[in-house]
Amino acid sequence: MNSCSRSETRRCRPLLGTFVEIKATGLDDDALNSAINHAFGQIERIQSLMSVHDGASEISRVNAEAFLGPVKVSDETFAVLEHGLELALASAGAFDFTIAPLLASWGLLPAYLRRRAHGNWRDVVLQSGNQVRFARPVAIDLGGIAKGFAVDAAIASLRGNQATSASVNAGGDLRVFGPDESRIHLRHPVSAQPVSNPISLRNAALATSSPCFTRRQWRGRAVSHLVNPFHRRAIAESVSVSVRASECWLADALTKVVLTTDPATAARLLELHDAEAWILSA
Amino acid sequence: MLRPTIQWLVVPALVCSAMPVHAVVYLTVEQAQVAIFPNKKLTSADVALTPEQRKAIAKASDVRVRNLELKIWRVEGGGWFILDEVIGKHEFITYAVGLTEDGAVKQIEVMDYRETYGGQVRDEKWRAQFTGKKHGAKLKLDDDIQNISGATLSSRHIADGVRRLLATYELVLKK
Repeated sequence: MNSCSRSETRRCRPLLGTFVEIKATGLDDDALNSAINHAFGQIERIQSLMSVHDGASEISRVNAEAFLGPVKVSDETFAVLEHGLELALASAGAFDFTIAPLLASWGLLPAYLRRRAHGNWRDVVLQSGNQVRFARPVAIDLGGIAKGFAVDAAIASLRGNQATSASVNAGGDLRVFGPDESRIHLRHPVSAQPVSNPISLRNAALATSSPCFTRRQWRGRAVSHLVNPFHRRAIAESVSVSVRASECWLADALTKVVLTTDPATAARLLELHDAEAWILSA
Repeated sequence: MLRPTIQWLVVPALVCSAMPVHAVVYLTVEQAQVAIFPNKKLTSADVALTPEQRKAIAKASDVRVRNLELKIWRVEGGGWFILDEVIGKHEFITYAVGLTEDGAVKQIEVMDYRETYGGQVRDEKWRAQFTGKKHGAKLKLDDDIQNISGATLSSRHIADGVRRLLATYELVLKK
């Protein structure tokens, strides 16, 4: 380290229901701290818009009112809904953010998300002027995509504030930018120990989904946050799926596609998005 | 030949052979104070809880009170800075909470995070690695580990800790 080299700043806050760690370099200490604060602010903003655990969030308002009439949302929420519907279409429903009522019926999401009838992503209609409408009384949970989107927003903010390199890690959904390559160890889904071969990451994102950390028993069977939308059953195997992609929302959402769809469809979608997947099983 | 888009890795769960300990130090006390209350003067105002206060806080927050010695600072112009630690299943987390004058959470910063797996916490040798390394217990692999693992679980522990501190504010700090 010579006197010209600039330090790395690393901070961590509990957000998005997990820990979010932000690392950045390339500015003096004060500027780095202020850039990191701004990036955390972006994540807080997305959490306040898109968390179904917050009854006052924008997505909660959509869930309460969009069946009654169109609800106008922010650019960010509209973008995430667009991304989600595009991926639902491309995966023939393997990615479906309207699985929320089922998760609520298992006690994994708040009870106000329960619905009597089954619907799916096709019931979510996006209209001009950032308006959302439900054709049936469904409910949306953006948990499978918004965390990655928040990571992307934080990275965009750090880049905009002239950091040379940065990484944002939201409990396993991470994205890096900068000239250097990061080497990332995946964790074993059962033992949680790092697996030996690291994955290289440069200006890219890596997200992991595994039922191992959230699964629990519900009326005598195993349930988790990860659901196969086709037969509406939880994925409860000891498996983890990691996806490397250009953006974190995409990596995050593609992990669910790989978990729920057949290998040929998954491979086609990964190729389409220039992404790769690693499946770890015990 | 295109690179494969899906790689299957079947890896047996290791039983404590490698003993990974992942420790990260984010902020010292001074740095956390600046991060939460920039340009403010903080004055130490430590509190020792009485057994009655401990019981009342546990009752109000529904969280066990392990530590009776609270590290607290009063912020010039109003507000509090509290240092706390939570112990999860596999990890210790030191964190700081900034409260506004009227006792609302202003900001939470994780200061350090140490995790381990599989009962090593009780292993004296393992403990010894931390002795005398208050801010320096950096036992880290060469590379990053993707997950701040068990993160969902331990962020819940912080939520519990914050609830306990808010009850502490209501019952002890509030004038």
